[in-house]
Amino acid sequence: MSSDQIFVGLEIGTTKICVVVAEGKSEDQISILGVGETPSRGIRKGEIVDMATATECVREAILDAEEKANVEIGNVWVAITGGHLRSLNNRGIHVLPQPRQIEQEDLDLVQTNAKEIAIPPQNIFLHTILQSYHLDGNRNVTDPLESEGMQLEADFHIVHGIKTRIHNTLLCVESLKLEIEDVVLGSLASAQVVVTQHQKDLGVIVIDMGGGTSDYLVYQDGAVRHSGVLAVGGDHITNDISVGLKLPIARAEALKIQEGSARDPAESPGGVITLRNDPGFLGCDIDRRSLDTVIHCRVREMFELIRDEIERSAPDVVGLLGSGIVITGGCARLQGIAEVAADVFGQPVQVTSAKNVGGALQTFENPQYSTAIGLTKYARLITRDMEPVGLLDRITRGIGGIFGRRGA
Amino acid sequence: MSAAAQRRLIVGVGNAGVTVLDLLALEEPGLRGLVVVNNDPESLAATVVREKIEVPPGEPSDGFLAIDVDFGKLAAGASSLVLCGGLGGATGSFLLPALAILAKSSGITVAACVSLPFGFEGKRKSELADQALEKLYAVCDAVAVIGNERLSGGAPSTAAVGEAFALADRTMLACTKALHGMIITSGPVRITRSDMKSVLGLSGARVLFGSGKASGANRLHEALEEAMESPLLIQQGKNTPGSALLGTSTVLLLLQGPSDLSFAEVQAAVSGIERVAGDRCQIKTGVLASQPAGSPLTLSIIASSGGGSAPETRLQLAPSDAQADSPVVAVSKEKKSPSITKKSPSSLPKQTQGTLDLDNYQKGRFDKSQPTIVAGEDLDVPTFLRKGIKLSQPRRS
Repeated sequence: MSSDQIFVGLEIGTTKICVVVAEGKSEDQISILGVGETPSRGIRKGEIVDMATATECVREAILDAEEKANVEIGNVWVAITGGHLRSLNNRGIHVLPQPRQIEQEDLDLVQTNAKEIAIPPQNIFLHTILQSYHLDGNRNVTDPLESEGMQLEADFHIVHGIKTRIHNTLLCVESLKLEIEDVVLGSLASAQVVVTQHQKDLGVIVIDMGGGTSDYLVYQDGAVRHSGVLAVGGDHITNDISVGLKLPIARAEALKIQEGSARDPAESPGGVITLRNDPGFLGCDIDRRSLDTVIHCRVREMFELIRDEIERSAPDVVGLLGSGIVITGGCARLQGIAEVAADVFGQPVQVTSAKNVGGALQTFENPQYSTAIGLTKYARLITRDMEPVGLLDRITRGIGGIFGRRGA
Repeated sequence: MSAAAQRRLIVGVGNAGVTVLDLLALEEPGLRGLVVVNNDPESLAATVVREKIEVPPGEPSDGFLAIDVDFGKLAAGASSLVLCGGLGGATGSFLLPALAILAKSSGITVAACVSLPFGFEGKRKSELADQALEKLYAVCDAVAVIGNERLSGGAPSTAAVGEAFALADRTMLACTKALHGMIITSGPVRITRSDMKSVLGLSGARVLFGSGKASGANRLHEALEEAMESPLLIQQGKNTPGSALLGTSTVLLLLQGPSDLSFAEVQAAVSGIERVAGDRCQIKTGVLASQPAGSPLTLSIIASSGGGSAPETRLQLAPSDAQADSPVVAVSKEKKSPSITKKSPSSLPKQTQGTLDLDNYQKGRFDKSQPTIVAGEDLDVPTFLRKGIKLSQPRRS
């Protein structure tokens, strides 16, 4: 595989469908060639609810990307999210009959053993992400290959979800005659481009706040410790504004983007926001403090739910983060969101977009595109890792591909 | 009454009780063991229930002496008794505890479904009702109390008085049926009398009740959804279906209906309740799948929150506790005084219309999507609404 391979990342989001075409460069770098985008229809909370409409939107986005990047798209990497995704950590153990050098086959076996856990019958494994190896009691061995040993253990972070719901996304893409390279957890894709390996080593929480869901991923000592999806996103903020201030959804969305702020209503400057008359809409004056209250309550609750969930699964981790919280995704552009997160987590917070990405289209360094760009970076890392093992291995991986690289 | 051996009686007392039994008789014409007791000849003349005991007009205490022998015989020939009626009025407040004591003395299982009066019915009624309720708790094996005031909390303030009473009647009907069903459950999946006692034997506890009925492929989920939306299962200030169940220690779940009820459906019902009540909640399930396949499925949920202790006086009663298969449930409902005229069942308005509309509106665009429920809270409902924060409304210019 040459270093100038083309990668296509497809994110079927609740707000927009985004296709990023990127070219792999040397040193794990990617360079964006073009971005196709359409507003979503038929998607709720990150999942397809109207297959025909959603498929049509994906088609438009793909055509848009093909035109902009001037390439023909055949293979895509697809991001997936949804409230049905669950995660857990498990250790696989593989004992050799006698001490010898560890081979690739042993690493595969220990991973298979780690998956021997009970998940609901309707679920399938999406990711098995390596955290660390232990060889004969020697903890945190980065790469045991070719070392001599007898008892090989490995900790994995396992993500699983409901099979039919994951398949629906695949069906939508496959009906467009596109070949799916792999399915990737949305937050895992985003993390590839919004945090550096150094940050992962220090410990960081990545929160990707999209339209329909908020996906989060916890890194500690360079490895994924926890991941999750909260099926609440920017759409909920818009809906709250619409219900609370009695505005049509489109008006509420525009108000959120133009005037919305997640700041504490006690610090609100107050005053009124005047909405003009439009055909079918009678203008009105909105109290700014009420708007701030609606948004603040929701955003704060979202962070609190995420914090509580992380603390439940990985106690103490929030206090030990060396690199704080990183927020990305379309919702990250909401004013004051970093302050609320900092208050809830008690950690420094950074709102960021894709970094270390090249290409003519610098304008796409916008938190909205983190997942789709991250997919191409992920693809770049995966294919580079697979070069020595060849194509056959890649074919046998199937869905729920194995991301053997430590720290993902 | 000799043929009455092993009869499971449902006795409606006072005008409220008669109304509920009328509804029951119309809904399930095949159901036997229905008896009405009242001191209002007009009400007894109009009822469709065939077995009637007329209490002579005048003071209920005097009238009771005229019927105690009759009722005693009736009770002695039965194996269980569910009383239903409204507390607060002169008739129900006296007769319900009196009949319960009489029945209990012949050693059968006694349960009661009673209603407490609405706030607007006055303090005097409320006091009478409380006194009667204490007596019932002391006698009955289980008492399901339906607070009409709390029930009406879910209805819009513009609801007609008649609508409020009708809602109370429907709720009491469903609750009486559920208690009766729980008593007669048998087989491996059943609710024992001690289960009922643990939930419905605590004086002062708030009874949480909901029921739903549906048929078709998705019957379980539809019935569960309807049950969860019952006003008594929604915590005040919240609008999440089933929110009042959060944190309860025991929930009684009764599934009544078609013989093709599947194991998966029972499982889905239990996990549906667990989702709102939390993992620590113990769910006691009873299944009565005796009707032909395809008939509608009724799902009832009973739980209680708060409350004090089991009354000590219970110990003085006849030792019917030993009959494990004949649980006694006492349901006391005090929803209307005997002077209120009976409504015809066909004119009953739909039960929870107002509440439902409100709920959908609050969820806005997420109205039709699968709810996101975390720790019993429906996250699709705006946060400020769940926290009860008031907003100043926009001024139209």
